Amino acid sequence: MVDKDPVVRIVTLEKKKPTRLEKFLSQVMLFLENVIKVPLFRCQRCGECILSHTAFVCSQRCPKRLRNGPCGGVGEGGTCEVYPERQCVWYLIYRRARLLGRISLLNRIEKIHNWNLEKSSAWLNVFTKRIEPPVFFIRRRDQDGTERED
Amino acid sequence: MALREKIESGRFVVTAELGPPQSCNGDVIRKKAVHFRDGIDGVNITDNQTGIVRLSSIASAKILLEEGIEPVIQVTCRDRNRIALQSDLLGAAALGIGNVLCLTGDHQRFGNHPESKGVFDLNSVQLIATVERLTEGFFLSGERMKKAPDFFIGGAANPFADPLEFRVLRLAKKIRAGAQFIQTQPVFDLGRFGKWMEGVRKLGLHKKVAILAGVMPVKSAKTLHYMENEVPGIRIARETIRRMEEAKEPKEEGVKIAVETIRELRRMEGVRGIHLMPLMWENITPRIVEEADLLDR
Repeated sequence: MVDKDPVVRIVTLEKKKPTRLEKFLSQVMLFLENVIKVPLFRCQRCGECILSHTAFVCSQRCPKRLRNGPCGGVGEGGTCEVYPERQCVWYLIYRRARLLGRISLLNRIEKIHNWNLEKSSAWLNVFTKRIEPPVFFIRRRDQDGTERED
Repeated sequence: MALREKIESGRFVVTAELGPPQSCNGDVIRKKAVHFRDGIDGVNITDNQTGIVRLSSIASAKILLEEGIEPVIQVTCRDRNRIALQSDLLGAAALGIGNVLCLTGDHQRFGNHPESKGVFDLNSVQLIATVERLTEGFFLSGERMKKAPDFFIGGAANPFADPLEFRVLRLAKKIRAGAQFIQTQPVFDLGRFGKWMEGVRKLGLHKKVAILAGVMPVKSAKTLHYMENEVPGIRIARETIRRMEEAKEPKEEGVKIAVETIRELRRMEGVRGIHLMPLMWENITPRIVEEADLLDR
């Protein structure tokens, strides 16, 4: 069984005034993310990055901003139900995840989004432990994505 | 016996779906409910389906309760954030509503207010986790409440949308989040449904959750064409369309197809019930229930 708490755990932003160093870091990180993540992954700057779980395709491009998999309206060949001229991002995620052997990460139940983090720097949020660090490597035995009873 | 007890006792259950009116006329619900009296274990009330404003699902459910019918309220994440969702769920529990079907919800672009803002603060998996959290006596904030609601938690599954493998994976997620029963989109393609069930059985998911397969009786081939072209994520077998097109009495053929589908589904391992969706054709329900031998289970 998966621990239920992570789904609903929310870390709110500290109320204390940010130091000058933090302000500076935040600006640098945001700049870097804007020039790297936005063009590369079409990052939507949710501040709670799960790119590493979703095979490096930004799930927040979904019109419903789904974080836990595709809705029931995906058409044949993976068209989006809301904008039929677009591809469903979750369809892309699934294809990419299979290619990269990262299906097992799709099994994770993503936490409820913390809107306080919207438009903040996800990288800074990782360092300040507001969000979980990205997962880069997965064990070979987990790459096929079959669930195992632990 | 409540729906939860019936499912837990291993009985084959039948639920049906009722759409509230686009007005404040509660009598419409009372009239439709008459058709759901015999052989139906629970009646789903849709929550502004396809984004069209209708009488609220919780209010409709209260009307059903007064009529002596057990309601299943559908709750979507399109129109409410986590505050409103939790508040409405507490309200539903206070009114004696015990079954919740958690959905993400259709996009508002399809409805009669396409320019509105979709909320989608949570998604269906997270909503299931939220309801489970409420039943444990906690708000999402982590604060404890004095009296916890008791909900039988459901989720939806669409075996017909792509990619098929992800559909099984997503079902597994919903179960881990706390889903106790699953209602599927209408089955018009038994082959594809069988493939999905195979995947479900391979992971043993059918033992952890009660899967109720959706069945929708249709009046004409026109309805089928509409479903195929306009409703996203619906898959219809060529054979079914051909049969409806060639039928001299399409209504009779529609009933026949629905009854045959129910019989096939009932034989499938892991299918624990049927979810009837007689869209705009509620009065056919008693006949289908009778002809498919669902009256004495």
